[in-house]
Amino acid sequence: MHGGTTHFPIALVMASALFDLAGLILPDNPSKTRRVGFQAAGLCTIVFGALGAFGAVGSGLVMSRGQLWGAGNLARHHLFLWPAFGMLIGLATWRLIVRDRGSSRGFKIYLAGSMLAAALMAATGYWGGELLLNG
Amino acid sequence: MSVEAKAALLAAATALSLLGVTFGVSPFLRPAMAAASKERSTNIVSAAAVRDLQADAKRGHSLFDHNCAHCHGDDARGDEGPSLYDLSLSDARIAKRIKEGVKGEMPKFGSKLNDADIRALIAYLRTLKS
Repeated sequence: MHGGTTHFPIALVMASALFDLAGLILPDNPSKTRRVGFQAAGLCTIVFGALGAFGAVGSGLVMSRGQLWGAGNLARHHLFLWPAFGMLIGLATWRLIVRDRGSSRGFKIYLAGSMLAAALMAATGYWGGELLLNG
Repeated sequence: MSVEAKAALLAAATALSLLGVTFGVSPFLRPAMAAASKERSTNIVSAAAVRDLQADAKRGHSLFDHNCAHCHGDDARGDEGPSLYDLSLSDARIAKRIKEGVKGEMPKFGSKLNDADIRALIAYLRTLKS
């Protein structure tokens, strides 16, 4: 079950960072809908990613019998997981509150955080895979 | 204070609270699951009319809990990996599989478990009978 649930937040956080980046760097179209569309997609994906993270973390805790750290590859998996999980919840909360009321500088800081969270999620997934393949 | 700053404070508080809840709940999860697993395994072993659970099998059970249960299930009846009840493979085949794994399906444990560990695991697996 963990193997299934865990891929949703990983993919959604990465997609969110990409959508937000595209909204920031791509030129808007004449009807001014492209940037708004990318930002809406970024918001939806980060929120669903954060919601999905609860399922992934919950199933992981059940699978590891409540181990928060462990040893070897499990410890490496958790080393990236907990910061990623915290950041993901924080980013989704910030984004939901601010929506389109934020400044350009605030959004860029958020985007940097979102990319860092995506990288941490990727590292979490990598060590999860190592755990599965190499014990 | 701007809406962004307020949101950042609330976001940090939410993240820390949820991490706290997760870390707080986790210790309660562990003993409950371990006890449930032990109870189930004990019942199964009794049903199989095994007279004595040998020291090797006991150690094997512990090794199973730490290395195998997250794929084969707490009670070894299968989860992501198959059930380990009523194995018809020889000890040598089981040992080889534990050491070398199954490509794309099961990790190798040869570098993590020594021969004595694998013998203990096999002793435990032999107690798993329907």
